[in-house]
Amino acid sequence: MKVEIEKEIQQSAEAAARVLERIFASRKVLAVNLVSSPGSGKTTLIEALIDRLAGRKRIAVVEGDIETEIDAERIRKHGVQVHQITTRSACHIPPALLVKALDHIDLDAADLLIVENVGNLVCPAEVPLGEDVRVVALSVTEGDEKPLKYPLIFKTSRILVITKTDLLPFVKFSTEAVKAAARSVNPGIEIFETSAVTGEGLAALVDRIEALHAEKVR
Amino acid sequence: MHEFGIATEIVAAAVSEAGKHGGGKITAVTIRVGVLRGIVPDSLRMLFEFASKGTPAEGAVLEIEDEPVFVACGECGETPASGLTFTCPVCDRAGVVVKGGDSLRIVSIDIE
Repeated sequence: MKVEIEKEIQQSAEAAARVLERIFASRKVLAVNLVSSPGSGKTTLIEALIDRLAGRKRIAVVEGDIETEIDAERIRKHGVQVHQITTRSACHIPPALLVKALDHIDLDAADLLIVENVGNLVCPAEVPLGEDVRVVALSVTEGDEKPLKYPLIFKTSRILVITKTDLLPFVKFSTEAVKAAARSVNPGIEIFETSAVTGEGLAALVDRIEALHAEKVR
Repeated sequence: MHEFGIATEIVAAAVSEAGKHGGGKITAVTIRVGVLRGIVPDSLRMLFEFASKGTPAEGAVLEIEDEPVFVACGECGETPASGLTFTCPVCDRAGVVVKGGDSLRIVSIDIE
């Protein structure tokens, strides 16, 4: 006997993402899902953003890693709310874990929630966290063809932050080539070129984040 | 890695549906997977076999149907494509809109 079902699988993940969307909407918090390969400088970028947004926007951070509290400890030194998720074996932050993590964050005391996803260009692309803005970071040491090799994450991100531009003199990386590659998979992607060492490009990124927050609370 | 969670959910959904129809042994489960989901069929089949052990779905065949993406082009309309593409498969124009290809649905089960 054949039984027709036609039912979406992973409804629990989608339902959890909807819950997150409602939480972020009701608390008027701009939620940023920061994704990238391991080692592209996500935590350093967050630290730089915290320092530049100090006194302008209240930031809370959720850190995702397979193991350890190392990143949360780094962020805590900047005096903002932070909670670490350890996913054990999972290659991305599942939305249900983020819902639980928010028990440890006072969202009424935050304008901006930055979720640092597990370093991975594959699975986080498929797992929305109810975020307002997905930001993908790519360092100049990774190669300018990455958007073509991992298209989905670049297609689903609103902003591309190129990091470590201070290393450009030492690596074979064409900023123009990476921009063209990213735009070929996502014509509307917004691109920022930054260095946490020299501070290049961070002011523009901070302004953009403030504008996105203003849009959200309007 | 995330194929295992998916396999577990497929087994749970199939067993729950079979329960509503007399709870017989499940011989086949058909799912439809969008080509953008990045799911490796052989891995999913292997994990399904593992996840279904000791359940009414043990030994069932997992049939996987592909859901294509549809590429919407201003000139040519919608064309199905078998993978992620950013140009129209007909006229090669860029700036197209990619739709669909992200399903992960259980379509039907066969019960003895």
